[in-house]
Amino acid sequence: MTATANTAMSKAEEREARRRAKRLKRFDSPWMNPKLLWGAGILIGILLFGFFGRLLWDPELVFIGSAPLNLPPLGFENLRGDGGSTAHPLGTQSSGRDILALLIVGAPNTLFIGVIASLIGMAIGIVLGFSAGFIGGRTDDVIRVIADVMITIPPLMVLIVFQTSIGEIGIVMMGVLLSGFMWQSPTRLIRAQVLSMRESGYVRMARLSGASTFDIMFKEMLPNLVPYLFGSFIAIATTAIVTAVGLETLGLGPQRVPTLGRVIYEAIDSAALLRNMWWWWGIPTALLATMFIGLLLVNLGLDEVANPKLRKV
Amino acid sequence: MGRRGKQLVLGALGVAVLLALIAIPYRDPMSGDAPIAREDTVIFDLDRSIKNPRNFNWLTPGVKRLHGAHQAMWEPLFVLNYANGELEPWLGLSIESNASHDVWTLVLRQGVEWSDGEAFDADDVEFTARMLMDSDAISAREAIRFKAQVDDVEKIDSHTIQFRLKQPNPGFHIENFGVLNFSSFLVMPEHIWRGQTVGSFDFFPPIGTGPYTFSSATSQRAIWDRDDNWWGARAGFLELPAPKRLVWIETGGQENRAQLLRSNQLDAGQHLALGIFEAIQARNPNVVSWHDGFPYSWTDPCPRQLEINATVEPWDNPAMRKAIAHIVDRQQIIDIVYEGSTVPSKTMFVQYGAMQPFIDAVVDAGYELPTRANLEAAHAIIEDNGYSMGDDGTYVKDGVPLTTRILANTASAETTGTVDLLVEQLQRAGIDARSVPVEDGVFWGEVIPLGDYEMSYSWLSCGSVNEPWASMVRYTNNSMAPIGERAPGYNNTGRWDTDATDRYTAVVNRIGQLSLGDPQIPGLVAEAYRELDAETPFIPLVQAAKVLSFNETHWTGWPRANDFYVHPMHWWNSTHLIIHQLEKADGGP
Repeated sequence: MTATANTAMSKAEEREARRRAKRLKRFDSPWMNPKLLWGAGILIGILLFGFFGRLLWDPELVFIGSAPLNLPPLGFENLRGDGGSTAHPLGTQSSGRDILALLIVGAPNTLFIGVIASLIGMAIGIVLGFSAGFIGGRTDDVIRVIADVMITIPPLMVLIVFQTSIGEIGIVMMGVLLSGFMWQSPTRLIRAQVLSMRESGYVRMARLSGASTFDIMFKEMLPNLVPYLFGSFIAIATTAIVTAVGLETLGLGPQRVPTLGRVIYEAIDSAALLRNMWWWWGIPTALLATMFIGLLLVNLGLDEVANPKLRKV
Repeated sequence: MGRRGKQLVLGALGVAVLLALIAIPYRDPMSGDAPIAREDTVIFDLDRSIKNPRNFNWLTPGVKRLHGAHQAMWEPLFVLNYANGELEPWLGLSIESNASHDVWTLVLRQGVEWSDGEAFDADDVEFTARMLMDSDAISAREAIRFKAQVDDVEKIDSHTIQFRLKQPNPGFHIENFGVLNFSSFLVMPEHIWRGQTVGSFDFFPPIGTGPYTFSSATSQRAIWDRDDNWWGARAGFLELPAPKRLVWIETGGQENRAQLLRSNQLDAGQHLALGIFEAIQARNPNVVSWHDGFPYSWTDPCPRQLEINATVEPWDNPAMRKAIAHIVDRQQIIDIVYEGSTVPSKTMFVQYGAMQPFIDAVVDAGYELPTRANLEAAHAIIEDNGYSMGDDGTYVKDGVPLTTRILANTASAETTGTVDLLVEQLQRAGIDARSVPVEDGVFWGEVIPLGDYEMSYSWLSCGSVNEPWASMVRYTNNSMAPIGERAPGYNNTGRWDTDATDRYTAVVNRIGQLSLGDPQIPGLVAEAYRELDAETPFIPLVQAAKVLSFNETHWTGWPRANDFYVHPMHWWNSTHLIIHQLEKADGGP
């Protein structure tokens, strides 16, 4: 009896030890750190909300006049005493747009602007950063000075002037415009990393073996910078989204295509605060805050991947 | 004194200088003078900034009058009071025409003085009239209209002037001197203006005959202080108005305007969306509007419409303009932008009682505008003109999508809201429409008069309130300017100029020569309207319901439906009548 009990206990301990080892192994990978997982989970959740939302909800409700005006969310009342409706569970705004539809279409659009700006900014930053760091000399001087000068120019100010002069723009154009202010940081970061990697053994070896500059830069060195590049990508995507939301909240940017910033602008412009229409500005603001928390967590998580000193023992 | 002592003295001196600098209040050279209590001040709303606060030459482009200049300082000759339909004398005492309506005699009130003490008399009127007639630099609509009508002016005596017209016009006095809408012929002081170049003179500091004199102005506000030596009080014309100071401030958007009204920092507000007004009134019951209950609003005499540039392809084709007219859903504009507080336009005219015979004539002739869209008719016209629907839901012809840009003046949320909705209606009908927000100064100063637009939202048939000619004449080709040159008086800015325009112009010119009340007029209106209906040079939309807010916390006596002594547009030259009716809410002196 005792022996059987002992055997059962040792098996249970063994199982527990194996489970613990498996868990440790799983979290041994720096890519599986909780910040990164939580952040990625939030962002994926927003994207899925947009994707499945379009399948389950009518995206046409984002357009003017597609719903009754000023309805509160289900379970609430507006200033006139009208109650919410199941047809518009998060309420509607004063032009007859459905808030849920605006979130479903607007949130991915807001993220999309950041991704476009970040992708283009990163691509430019990688080319310029590698060229400056690896080639050096005059190339480095020119790129460094341009990046240093450009980084001092406040993007919001320039973009306001630009947008007011060209009129309405679309989502892609907005991303492209923002990318003009998103390449400087990755350029500087990559240049600094390349300068320190340039004299590494594997780079010298590649050079001795006759590899071309392009191959050394993009086949040998680039893979070693992947965590930095991811981190940088998320950081500039965050900056791009903040800038885009800033422009949209001022009434600039895409007009017919909904974004979260545009929804907030319309709420401010129509005095939603005074009219107690909290659902109009509050829900998109909460979603934006969630999006930024997700981006911050991903950024912190990627920092841990790139910098082992930040990992908890 | 030792070294330490010297240091102490120097330190003390430094501190003293610093304190003195802080203690001397910074004085803006353009700020108001003596402080005046809030209870003695009336604060009016300005829905746009003052582009050039040191320029009061109202005749030149971009110079505004609605920041108090023509409400407090420059008085009108007469005021057509919408409340009773009478032409109330002000600086003018009487105006009469000969039997053929081509010679008009104006008699001025005695005892009127400019605020600098100079007498106001026939010399000033004659000088101003000649200045308008002789100058090519003027752009104000009132000045252009006067210049187009008057052939000669002659001073009969110190208070009598005679105007000889180019052609008979029974409505000359109301159109030019009666503040028919917004403003009127404003008399300028000869002793200041003589010898000046009209196009470049800035008339600063300005003077007028009104009970308030200019105190200061910036791009966001203008201050006017009561002139206790005003001629009107001395001559027994009227008592001094109660407010000691009038202030116009730029409020910005509706949210800001609403907060200022709620917190009693604004006494007279511009238009607010109905829901916003209800929200303010729930918090501050002293804020009232024209009506006590729904729809709260006053019907502005300038119905809203969509202007179309008739020189830009494909809108130079009347059929394509007609297609746009079929797409417009007026009821949706009312439901969404005006929250049900107005009615659709049946014709180009404001739907006041006095206009009913002319509206009826147009309706009876079969030209009444529909309330709802007729998309089938629109699609048929567009397809007849060679367009086919593309995969993305936009019409295409020879690979080129059917697009349009509608300019929206950003000064008003009502404007941007309507344009957004029009864009939506056009988009859903297969036209790739876009809204282009344009700043107020650029809108009225450049793009509209120069015809630099495809479509724009405005109220350019504004004019008629008791007869049809004033609105209809604005679409004649009597004084056409080519694209790129200023359309005189903002008339026919879309440059509609076809054979139909010739026929329309001939009929409208006949109407202009008939006396008010002539029984031929309704029939002629319908005859002219046939051309408008066929060619659609512009598309009337809805009657303009304005929810104007008045705050009774500090001042009472505002014009309202239950106290309709004058129309409530406090940015018009007729505001003089309002200011003289204001009383302190606490009953104080």
